[in-house]
Amino acid sequence: MLEREFISQLEKILGEKNVLTSKEDLTCYSYDAVGTWIHLPEVVIFPTDAEQISKVLKLADEGKIPVTARGGGTNVCGASVPIKGGIVLCLTKMNKILEINKANLTAMVEPGVVLQDFNMALAQQGLLFPPDPQSFFGCTMGGAVAENAGGPACVKYGVVRQYVLGLEVVLASGQIVKLGGVTAKNRTGYELGALFTGSEGTLGIITKIVFRLLPLPTAKTLTLVVYDDLSVAGESVSRILASGVVPSKIELLDDVFMGYTEKVVPLGLPTDAAGTLLIETDGATPEVAERERDLIVEVCTKGGAREVRVAKDAAEMTKWVMARAGAMGAILRSVTAVQEDIAVPRDKIPEFIRKAKDLWKQRGLRGSILGHAGDGNLHPAVLMDHKSEELYRKAMEAMEEVIDIALSLGGVLSGEHGIGLEKQKFLKKAMDPVAIELMKKIKGLLDPNNILNPGKIWEA
Amino acid sequence: MGNSDKFKEISRFETDLNRCVLCGFCTFFCPVYREELVESSLARGKIMMIRALIRGELEFSKEFSERLNTCLLCMACTAKCPAGAQVPPAILAARADRVRAKGLPFWKGLILRYLLPHRRLFGNTVKVASKFQGIFMPRAEGSIRHLAFFLSALGKGRRIPEIAGKFLRQQVPVVAKPPVGVETKMRVGYFIGCANDFIFPQVGKKTINFLNKNGVEVIIPKEQGCCGAPVWFGAGDFETGRKMADKILKVFQDVDIIVTDCATCSSALKEYPKFLADTPERMDSYSKFSAKVKDISEFLVDVLKLPASAYRASAQAKGLKVTWHDPCHLNRYQGLNKQPRQIIQSIPGIEFVEMPNADRCCGMAGTFSVDYYGLSKKITDQKIEGIRATGADVVVTECPGCMIQLIDNLARHEMPQKVMNLMELLE
Repeated sequence: MLEREFISQLEKILGEKNVLTSKEDLTCYSYDAVGTWIHLPEVVIFPTDAEQISKVLKLADEGKIPVTARGGGTNVCGASVPIKGGIVLCLTKMNKILEINKANLTAMVEPGVVLQDFNMALAQQGLLFPPDPQSFFGCTMGGAVAENAGGPACVKYGVVRQYVLGLEVVLASGQIVKLGGVTAKNRTGYELGALFTGSEGTLGIITKIVFRLLPLPTAKTLTLVVYDDLSVAGESVSRILASGVVPSKIELLDDVFMGYTEKVVPLGLPTDAAGTLLIETDGATPEVAERERDLIVEVCTKGGAREVRVAKDAAEMTKWVMARAGAMGAILRSVTAVQEDIAVPRDKIPEFIRKAKDLWKQRGLRGSILGHAGDGNLHPAVLMDHKSEELYRKAMEAMEEVIDIALSLGGVLSGEHGIGLEKQKFLKKAMDPVAIELMKKIKGLLDPNNILNPGKIWEA
Repeated sequence: MGNSDKFKEISRFETDLNRCVLCGFCTFFCPVYREELVESSLARGKIMMIRALIRGELEFSKEFSERLNTCLLCMACTAKCPAGAQVPPAILAARADRVRAKGLPFWKGLILRYLLPHRRLFGNTVKVASKFQGIFMPRAEGSIRHLAFFLSALGKGRRIPEIAGKFLRQQVPVVAKPPVGVETKMRVGYFIGCANDFIFPQVGKKTINFLNKNGVEVIIPKEQGCCGAPVWFGAGDFETGRKMADKILKVFQDVDIIVTDCATCSSALKEYPKFLADTPERMDSYSKFSAKVKDISEFLVDVLKLPASAYRASAQAKGLKVTWHDPCHLNRYQGLNKQPRQIIQSIPGIEFVEMPNADRCCGMAGTFSVDYYGLSKKITDQKIEGIRATGADVVVTECPGCMIQLIDNLARHEMPQKVMNLMELLE
């Protein structure tokens, strides 16, 4: 239990209304966006600037009190769950866009800015921040950096790491450090900013971010390609990439996801198909986007697609995009599911699909695959129609084997969700042991008292 | 669900309670969260608190009640929820279980349990209050005044419209027949909302006249009382709500269609079975009753199917540029958003302009704006910016609650826009 004296000190630094201690409020900061792990913090604080955070971290470091950073709470690996209690440091009130510099194609933001708000502000100036985690309505920019988030647009535009030019970070000691800058190029010393990108709140608290931006592509096309065989859909992905065109999105939905999505957002998809690719192209002019689309359609048709459907207008595009964004939610309306986040080299997608489906068939489980096929990041899921511990155990065992399949194909444990609490038990088999040791040493150097998001990434 | 009597009302919404998958999409759409930026404002946070309550980890404490109350019940979260969880009904049910366990605060109990269910007494109290308006509080400009007494709880410096000198019910007959020469096509009951009765009687008169002119005979039972919305569809006093509902059912038993020009009333009347039906008998009678209820916009467009030529601009609306604000109770509760727009766009000589975020809650939400006036104003500020962007002369809506909120806040922002009920546009 935190002492009253400590809470008073926090109140002095942050103001009373920015320090919450009621059990009701603590309950509201005990989970992330999946709710698999629940743990109450002892206090929730809402700093409004880096100086306050510096003072708080000095206090916490002295008292060896755990500090878990949290933004919109949309992560799905347990990263923002205060598993060791202590302080939840919530950054939602630091939500100012400090600068949008169109002439330099950069923006400077506080960590609590919501991605959708950011992109709406950028769009007004014809600019875009491309990485698009599907939690864009709720996720904050600090969280997107700390989780090194990505989404469907990764196939063409990459993930958050590729857009971070500069950071301001408060270290566990309370020191405020500036890393990187506002230039497109920067070869000054080690790339320390990259260390904090994807650090899941274990190395420091990000208080300011400078992002690289792109001009907003004014033209887009969206095409649904339907297949009778999911691995043929997978083959199409590498065929498209090898054809010399890089679409802005290639999303894959299998028959199971199509079925559930259809119930929520009826797109009139054939019910007997095995899977669908949702392919977006974009460009500065309609000619560019449409030419790329036509090339892709040709590749898919030659590669065994059963049906090709082109979105007729912006409204239809939005409908299809929302159907994809809500696909997991649509499934969870009816069943519970265990889902993973592996990524495989793109030429290995068909093999991965075949092996995963075979495995589920052998185990008598109902599996399903959804994912950002364009970047090889798939979310295989095992669905359970009822709550049974036996079934859950079987599903978890099968999932571990699915992870093994991905790793054996040269894939990785997590494409975009991060390790957090969820995948730490698999870390040893997915990462070079020397690299794990290096991570621990870096952690020890930056946070010797282990106060920043303790208990995450690797098993204690 | 354990402890079933303690959570009797919540247990009826168990599916919604379990359906939330915590994805956090609602953070972007919840007007309260967008201002407060704390999770307890949010559907997701409230769901997790209610789940903890049922597990016995939380109680109906003062803190818990406060957090249950900071919801507009605007349903914006539900409209965008990928998992299809309807969280506000579960929150309302939790309020109902809290009222059963803890009762209502004194002043709320007095007004909601005693005055509102007794329309005559309520009317007299309002009447007394109206004599004092402008005496206890300084008069504001124009016809908008500070109110004393009855709405003192609503007051707090709020500019609300003057209480009518003569209430609607005193100005209309029990049976209003179509004028001579107009064939009677239909016969409907007219439900008088409290706000239209006491504050906006001109709206009701317009509605009745318009219906008459279009061949509808209107029955206006004098014994009708309040729909109960503030009592149960807000404060969560379901028990008093049932008494009020039973009375309304009896009063309107002889008509097949019940029309009202208050979006909150039509929504509340339609929701009787969902929230208040505690027995199979009530489920049956409330369901039959709610099927008879039609909001005026729905009645004109979907039932009466008036041709566009039936809509002509009233003298006060002619030549004006108007914008439409979707009341949550009309749009998200009843799915009525095309109908009012169709009516407005059918009126020759009126220019219609869509406002940005027309469907965003105005921030009133009944007693929410009394309990959290500061927060309520901040939510309205967003609406005001949308109105400003349209350059319209008039904001049209169909809910007196929204009207009160918009009148107050437009004045606070020194904006020129008038606020009208949809029916006031019509000749």
